[in-house]
Amino acid sequence: MFLAAAIQTATEVLPHIDGYVYPNEQNFLWSVLIVVYPYITGLVAGAFIMASFVRVFNVKPLEPVYRLSLLTALAFLLCAPLPLLLHLGHPERCFEMMLTPHLSSPMAMFGFVYAWYLMAVLLLELWLDYRADFVQWSRDNKGLKGWLYRLLTVGVMDTSPAALKLDHKMSLTISIVGIPSAFLLHGYVGFIFGSIKANPWWGNVLMPVIFIFSAMVSGMAMCVALYMIITKLRKQKLDIACLDVMGRMLFYALVVDAAIEGLDWLHRLYSADESIHVLKNLATGKLFYTLLILQALLGTVVPLVFLGLGQLFPKTISAAARTKIYAIMAVLILVGVAAMRWNVVIGGQLFSKSLRGFTTYKMEMAGHEGVTMALILLALPFVILTVLVKLFLPKRMTAARELHAVASAAPNTT
Amino acid sequence: MSKDTSRRHALRVFGGTVAGILSFAAAKTAKAVVQKGLVSTGAPKGYDPTKHKWLMALDIDRCIGCGFCVEACKEENNVPQGASYFRTWIERYVIKKAAPGSGNMRGECIVDSPNGGRNGFPPSLVPREDILKAFFVPKLCNLCEHSPCVQACPVGATFDAPDGVVLVDPNYCVGCGFCIQACPYGCRFMNPETRTAEKCSLCYHRITRDLKPACVEVCPTQARVFGDLKNCTPDDPIMQFITKNKVQTLKPHLGTEPRVAYAGMDKEVR
Amino acid sequence: MQRFKLPPQVVRLVILTVAIVASYAVARQIFVPKSFGQYGHYRGDALKEIASREPRYAGQKSCNECHSEVLVKVAKYEHKNIQCESCHGISKAHGNDPDHHDPIKLNDSLCLRCHTRDVARPLFLKQIELSKHYSGKGKCVECHIPHQPNEVP
Repeated sequence: MFLAAAIQTATEVLPHIDGYVYPNEQNFLWSVLIVVYPYITGLVAGAFIMASFVRVFNVKPLEPVYRLSLLTALAFLLCAPLPLLLHLGHPERCFEMMLTPHLSSPMAMFGFVYAWYLMAVLLLELWLDYRADFVQWSRDNKGLKGWLYRLLTVGVMDTSPAALKLDHKMSLTISIVGIPSAFLLHGYVGFIFGSIKANPWWGNVLMPVIFIFSAMVSGMAMCVALYMIITKLRKQKLDIACLDVMGRMLFYALVVDAAIEGLDWLHRLYSADESIHVLKNLATGKLFYTLLILQALLGTVVPLVFLGLGQLFPKTISAAARTKIYAIMAVLILVGVAAMRWNVVIGGQLFSKSLRGFTTYKMEMAGHEGVTMALILLALPFVILTVLVKLFLPKRMTAARELHAVASAAPNTT
Repeated sequence: MSKDTSRRHALRVFGGTVAGILSFAAAKTAKAVVQKGLVSTGAPKGYDPTKHKWLMALDIDRCIGCGFCVEACKEENNVPQGASYFRTWIERYVIKKAAPGSGNMRGECIVDSPNGGRNGFPPSLVPREDILKAFFVPKLCNLCEHSPCVQACPVGATFDAPDGVVLVDPNYCVGCGFCIQACPYGCRFMNPETRTAEKCSLCYHRITRDLKPACVEVCPTQARVFGDLKNCTPDDPIMQFITKNKVQTLKPHLGTEPRVAYAGMDKEVR
Repeated sequence: MQRFKLPPQVVRLVILTVAIVASYAVARQIFVPKSFGQYGHYRGDALKEIASREPRYAGQKSCNECHSEVLVKVAKYEHKNIQCESCHGISKAHGNDPDHHDPIKLNDSLCLRCHTRDVARPLFLKQIELSKHYSGKGKCVECHIPHQPNEVP
């Protein structure tokens, strides 16, 4: 009995500990998969906001990315539950979260917010926008593809101007509802961390707000990057007006995001409560590269400077140069926001709640929670998006889409 | 056209009726379950959880750091043997003297818990003459009145039992680990074999049979004091403890209202 | 008079919504455990299940049923508060079947576990520095009786 204990203790490889951590904290609980999940839902929320600029705020130059943004949101949303299911100790019991949700827990909201957002917001808006095209495509295509489009019409084949006008009106309503829904989809993730008063790195009031704004920034950057990639792959010409507006929206969102994150740091440093020593050690020690270099410098300061220059001196910087800036800054922002998720999730577990020490994160290579799985989960939405783009994003804007564009430009004419 | 309208109308009425019946049935069943009332669960000897309120208290000045309690807990509750799974553990605090001439009250505080204290403690690395104070602190679930772990559980797998114990239902837990993150005291862990969250259950299977928790049984110095606050006499160890000692609790500023009371706790203890 | 006609999109969506909500309600009826909600937001049966696990430590009362003469002796000395099972190992199985013995190697480490000097140990406990205690050689039981620590063998 004692021998078994001795052997198990001797052969167990514990992570390197600095100082003192509670014995139960030596093993890491939430792995890189839990970094991937907020990243993915953040991209969903941000891409949707980009689409709603077109629909709700009538930002005309963004028309070319409207459908791409929605499809991007869908591709990432479909993959969102995967990291969670892989992480759960008992994924077969996941339905319990929907059948007996404990209403005091932010995590219990996941099932409902996800279902609402997927069905009542994203799929519905996509359907209302695409329905006329589905009707047309179901007639143009034979075989399996034709059947698919016909199925997607849900049997509503009416393409009269009155029906299309109704589609458009309903779509506008859904878009308006969709904005707070997108905030809820990612805001509750922020609240999952923000509600943990036991952890001083996580439990504060700004956490949901920071998550929402960094989500918007990452989603918009993803739309910029994808628009450039797809346009280049299709050998089409980039719409520089569209890029300029996307760059401007990205800049504004980044300013707000940087301001709020800066406020968080400023407040922590100024009020300096009991946890400040261990958190300063964390930020300048174990999180030096991911926090100070990747998230702050490369992910926030550099894009702010360059996108800001693009806004202040649009005439001196040529279109070609601006395009390059947008491309590079989009990538930097995407990396920076991924680093931010890492810093929150992993960083929050690296130090002990006794405030006396640090553990280390031994990330597996293989294994269902390892880095390979994380990369697969990040690549999967792109695979899905390729399929979606092939099926639903023709090279030219369809007649029905142009009709929608006209309808949203002049809502009072019939 | 009129046929279309009446068909649609009929569909609507039918759909609404079905939905209504189903939700009425669901509500009725839920009400019946809740109204089953507070009766005995059928636990050993007809134990009624509403008639007890268990408490564990700790006297730091009496703990000798032998680790019998840690070992007993692991054996009694089948806890995995590894060095990062503990339902209860012992911490040793060694507080150094202040550097001479510094004007400080104390020097550095060093905390350790080798294998949770399960096999006792090796001698401290701090030289004897540098030490101002040193003591052992047993740690366990703090039996919070407003448990943040219960608040965090998304499915209702961990809960406050009516008799003051915070329990985990291993057949319902999904293994998300949110409760483990939410506990400020580090008393929860993920059992790698069952893949569910686990923590001190106050040896629920013992206290419902008039036995004491394993850690309390084996403690040689009565550093661990246990009792039922709803059924005790003034002579009971727990009442003696409450009457005799000024007590502290861990991290009171978080509002979890931990019920486990520590007598003789120092400011360095987290 | 114009009859109010619901547009086809709305009709289909309403049907879908009702179907989804209805299937959710049915799923709740079928899959939520019956004892859920009995005392609170958890399965009431869980209390019973957790309480029905078998205890493994017998406790001194149980040892006393057969070994009372030993316990009478122990009760007179300092070690009276140490549970038999702390040194002799878990004994519930032995209590149920006296012929069943789980062998425990009784050796010096059991004594030294408590009685080695440690700075954090309170001084009401007698402690030794092993190297300075009669040159640190020899077994503890050569000079001390565990059940009656104040006596000499």
